[in-house]
Amino acid sequence: MNVFLVETDKTGLQKFYEEIIGKFETYAPVEKFGKYDYKRISKLDECDPDSPIETTMSIKPLFFPKTAKVMKFKEDNTGTTISETDEDSLTGKRIILGVKHCDARGLQVLDQVYNWDYIDTDYQKRRGNTVIISTRCDKAGTQCFCTSLDYDVEKSDAHDIRIVNGLDGKIYIQAVTQKGEGFVKENISQQSAVGSQQSLEEIKKHYKSFEASFRLKMDYKEVNEKLQKLFDSPEFETVSSNCIGCNTCAFICPTCHCFKITDEKIKDTGVRYKSYDSCNNGYFTLMAGGHNPRPVKYRRWRQRALHKFVYYKERFGMNLCVGCGHCAISCPVNISIFDVVNQVAKV
Amino acid sequence: MEQLLVPVMCKVDKIIDETPDIRTYRLKMNDPAKMESFGWMPGQFVEFSLLGHGECTFCISSSSTRQGYFDCSIKRAGIVTADIHSQLEEGMDVGIRGPYGNWFPVDDIKGKNLLFVGGGIGLAPLRSLIQYCIDNRSDYKDFTILYGARTSSDMCYKEEIEEWKKNPSLKVILTIDKPEETWKENVGVVPKILEEVVKPGTENTKVITCGPPIMIKYTLVSLDKLGFAPKDVITTLEMKMQCGLGKCGRCNIGSTYVCKDGPVFTYEQLKSLPDEF
Repeated sequence: MNVFLVETDKTGLQKFYEEIIGKFETYAPVEKFGKYDYKRISKLDECDPDSPIETTMSIKPLFFPKTAKVMKFKEDNTGTTISETDEDSLTGKRIILGVKHCDARGLQVLDQVYNWDYIDTDYQKRRGNTVIISTRCDKAGTQCFCTSLDYDVEKSDAHDIRIVNGLDGKIYIQAVTQKGEGFVKENISQQSAVGSQQSLEEIKKHYKSFEASFRLKMDYKEVNEKLQKLFDSPEFETVSSNCIGCNTCAFICPTCHCFKITDEKIKDTGVRYKSYDSCNNGYFTLMAGGHNPRPVKYRRWRQRALHKFVYYKERFGMNLCVGCGHCAISCPVNISIFDVVNQVAKV
Repeated sequence: MEQLLVPVMCKVDKIIDETPDIRTYRLKMNDPAKMESFGWMPGQFVEFSLLGHGECTFCISSSSTRQGYFDCSIKRAGIVTADIHSQLEEGMDVGIRGPYGNWFPVDDIKGKNLLFVGGGIGLAPLRSLIQYCIDNRSDYKDFTILYGARTSSDMCYKEEIEEWKKNPSLKVILTIDKPEETWKENVGVVPKILEEVVKPGTENTKVITCGPPIMIKYTLVSLDKLGFAPKDVITTLEMKMQCGLGKCGRCNIGSTYVCKDGPVFTYEQLKSLPDEF
């Protein structure tokens, strides 16, 4: 991990923020009715990069839009012609402030599926154009369990730059990736890089109580190993019985990436869309003719739980859950993926 | 524009009525250069869109050894396929993405006896391989085709089957489920005819099978009884797919993407997958 550090304080950080907000297309958590969401901002006081609770939606839609136009088509008597949509060209540089470590990790996980074999170029462009500036959490939220999973929150390199607190009101701007280092050097003039060893010790002291603030903890390795053998567990039926199939969990999840392709046509012109879908939908695997490999709810939940904690790890080497707790917070019937996998693995 | 999801436009050159609910659409790409460079292997599939109605996954039912066109045989089963049957006419445009997926192991089965077991529309992917093998006849040994349908009018590719029957180097066995007055061939379900009439030897033989799930299920039992090793039985799976690129997540069985790692699997591989197809 890169340890390019710049030491500053609250006013210095604000100055840095203001400077970059003025230069680039910026997204940051914006409060509305006590909840936070990533919105486009033009001034620092519109947003709160240190938002105390998780945002409702992850940063996923900024890379993988809820609904994207794939193409337009037009029919006439000579046939059908396909044309480009008038979506943005994806060339402008963007920054996202106040990203939580779990959300940033979500992108690293998505990279695996979008960059294997066929490469999703739009996703790639958005990734390449965006600098992610994260804020280190001081303590865990009620549904957080990021420290229990297969990645190290302390050493995460999922973001380009992270803002961390030191002792006595000191704030460090730490570039984690090459891209981040270039960005900091380019956009910060008044401060110079500091010796890292002592500062890193200070940071550790400041976040001493972070690990202890987690309500939810689990042994990831054990759960993963147990679930591999529990495909036929009857517990899946119990844990999923409350689910009303609203798919909120999948839509706000930083790592859920299933989508559907639909056409919309009025008279002789139309648009093809790519939009979110979820394995919790009853029709998700329904084939023409009526055959459905996952016709009942518990089988769909089994797919969801095992895909997150077993299959994706097996295929791409990363867990498809980052422990952010978004799903548990927004679920209308209080189902948490943490409870689901632990209850199944416990028996 | 997401290039991966944008189809290439093709013209419907010819529509062939196979059965009351199956039609074969012969397609040619609008750009002749693209058509010439369009290569595929038997068993691969395409995403076929009737723009404005939707996109469906169909295997290519002809072989790339017969150049200048490709066939998709479509059974009327759902919303888009019903629209295709009722609205798609000769000369109209359709969008095609592909070819995607893996293919029948045409090199591994060289020098082997081949036994094709097909049922209903399941002959479509096999037809691509059969044509490929006929066009490379010297690479393969004995050829047996067992094909069954519910009734004689539900048989696909009737004219082509007549040609196969006339070909002295092919053995063709047909069957229908229930007796009919004018029917002179076998009567009975495919697994039964396989055991009682075909009685294939296992030596140096590969079985390639495709058909409705219930037929596959009992055919696998029969093949097991006849002594075929699971690694010598090859089939092609049908799963709900949309992107064909290993992204959209529909066709997952465990950590396997049917659209990328399949659709062609050996029975041995299928046994190692979670029971969810």
